[in-house]
Amino acid sequence: MSNLENFDGGAERVAPSQVAPAAEIDEARVLALYRGMQLVRGVELAIENMHKLGRMSGSFHSSLGQEACAVGVCSALRESDIVTSTHRGHGHAVAKGAPIRGIFGELLGRSSGVSGGRGGSMHLHHRASGFYGETAIVAGGVAWAAGAAWARKRKGRDDVAAAFLGDGGFAQGATHEALLLAQHWSSPCLFVCENNGLAHSMSSLALFGEYGAIAERVAATGISSRYVDGRDVMGVAREAQALVREIRRSGEPAFLECGVYRVRPHSLSDPDYRYRPKDAGADWLASNDPIANLRRFLEPGLAGELDEIDGEVHDLIASELATAEAQDATPVTHARSNVYSTPDLDRRA
Amino acid sequence: MPELKYAEAIRAALEVEMETDEDVLILGEEVGALGGVFTVTLGLQERFGTDRVLDSPICESGLVGWAIGCASEGLRPVVEIMFSDFSLLAFDQIANLAAKLRFMSNGQFSVPLVIRMAAGGGTNHGPQHSQSLESIFAHVPGLVVALPSTSADAYHMMREAIRCDDPVIFLESKYLYFREFGEVDQSAGTRGFSASVARPGEDVTVVTAGRMRHRCLEAADIVASEGVSCEVLDMRYIWPLDMDAVATSLSQTSKLAIVHEPVEFIGWGSEVAAWVSEYRFEGLDGPIVRVGAERTPIPFQPYLEDEVIPTTERIAEAIRQLARH
Repeated sequence: MSNLENFDGGAERVAPSQVAPAAEIDEARVLALYRGMQLVRGVELAIENMHKLGRMSGSFHSSLGQEACAVGVCSALRESDIVTSTHRGHGHAVAKGAPIRGIFGELLGRSSGVSGGRGGSMHLHHRASGFYGETAIVAGGVAWAAGAAWARKRKGRDDVAAAFLGDGGFAQGATHEALLLAQHWSSPCLFVCENNGLAHSMSSLALFGEYGAIAERVAATGISSRYVDGRDVMGVAREAQALVREIRRSGEPAFLECGVYRVRPHSLSDPDYRYRPKDAGADWLASNDPIANLRRFLEPGLAGELDEIDGEVHDLIASELATAEAQDATPVTHARSNVYSTPDLDRRA
Repeated sequence: MPELKYAEAIRAALEVEMETDEDVLILGEEVGALGGVFTVTLGLQERFGTDRVLDSPICESGLVGWAIGCASEGLRPVVEIMFSDFSLLAFDQIANLAAKLRFMSNGQFSVPLVIRMAAGGGTNHGPQHSQSLESIFAHVPGLVVALPSTSADAYHMMREAIRCDDPVIFLESKYLYFREFGEVDQSAGTRGFSASVARPGEDVTVVTAGRMRHRCLEAADIVASEGVSCEVLDMRYIWPLDMDAVATSLSQTSKLAIVHEPVEFIGWGSEVAAWVSEYRFEGLDGPIVRVGAERTPIPFQPYLEDEVIPTTERIAEAIRQLARH
């Protein structure tokens, strides 16, 4: 995955072979990683399907194919740890433990949605699970995470924050400012750059170089920085765990670039065939799918357990979706509530 | 009651809030050993430590984002932006995250953040150091926009801003830092988000805020000698805008002039004028007059700056014309 050349929009980025998953994680944990990825995949597929059926509206950005990064990183976090995310954040929300029903509810515009049904796909927030939220501004949540982690440390806690960003977000000045501040003021923040090869239509290979180049840039600043192959969830989990352990110990930031691929178009309405081969995403998935990779690795001894997980996840998603859809739509009075915290000001808004 | 310069009054407010609440901290460029380029934070790092008064690198966007993170954890950060013009580098974080986080999260987060900045003209700093951005900030739902004009207001409004659970854009007049000097009753309670009558009068209501308060008072003195009595209303906050106070004053004068330092075109005075013509039309006995800055960048030479920013003479002339109506 890291030795791809002549990337001209997608097809060449389809890596030739599967990754053999790292093997030193115990069985219960690896099954949890598998389940986590199936949950994310199932949620993304359900959302796609609901849009096809015309029962969900608004735009959305699918993280399908990138499950190993979200799940692997979040497996290294505690519930009390903080995650901020991007516009492509369904997977981060699910992996951090935000309720599936509340996520569906949000996308369906239900008042039971995690953000009250007013934000939709790009505005999932669930503080109780530590999922501080997505931001629809590229790199808009990076400094937020760094500051929040630092504030926790001031209060004597050893919690960390993980700030997800993409290769697109790595182009933003806001990211570099946050990295600088995190280093200067010692924030226990893990910056996770999901390099999915494309910032909308901009190739990350053309912009930054091969996978791993972003991590190298950050390493040059002196921040502890690593690259990991995002097709291997156990590899991601292992790297994230090592970095998070180090962050908790030192109180200093770290950076993880995770090489993944954006299987779906940028968003629902994106004509991605204009800038990459029509089947680039599907072709990549056919031979690089992190879930299939893990399944193939585990199947010899654990086929029954995997089937059981698949069935349980399928049923859970179906039931959470049905429950969310049956709930009440957000009332019009919610169009203007919670603009301010101060009651007097909120009334005037 | 101590007499304090405007800059000293803000410092006194910061100091007392930092004394009483260890969650209050200051972050900004040059706020530490230097004490801020306008001396507002002078001595605070020495007193409260580098852990509570933090010198930031020059990265307004990252700094405000960081402070949002602190605020969402329950700290009460006060960020200094050296010149309000520089806040535009952080405008994304201010308008898209600080202002909207409460709404976007449906109340899961509050952002008790103060962003204080040296604003407006009068000190010959030129086009990128002299803007008055209050109308722009007032346009963003989720923000409070404070514009103190006296030492007492600077003190009390800063204390109120720090206590506020919502993000407050605190626009300090850099012209007034060392020129405005007044008694500060530190035991007085705050007035909430209300306007104040800077000068009572009967013939013309002059609605203003910030530095222009002082030019309006001078203009009111001039026209008083000609027999025109002005009520000068200092709005203090551009959002929320205390329209009740405007209505109350107008019920006596029936004539309205609005004077502000931001560009007149779609400035906050336009909102006041529109509101009054919509809801108090019958109470008007003359056209609503606006005196704001021309829609041009602010030149640095004093005589050119005053060519485009409202002067006492131009304000007096506008009031004179209106009074004759």
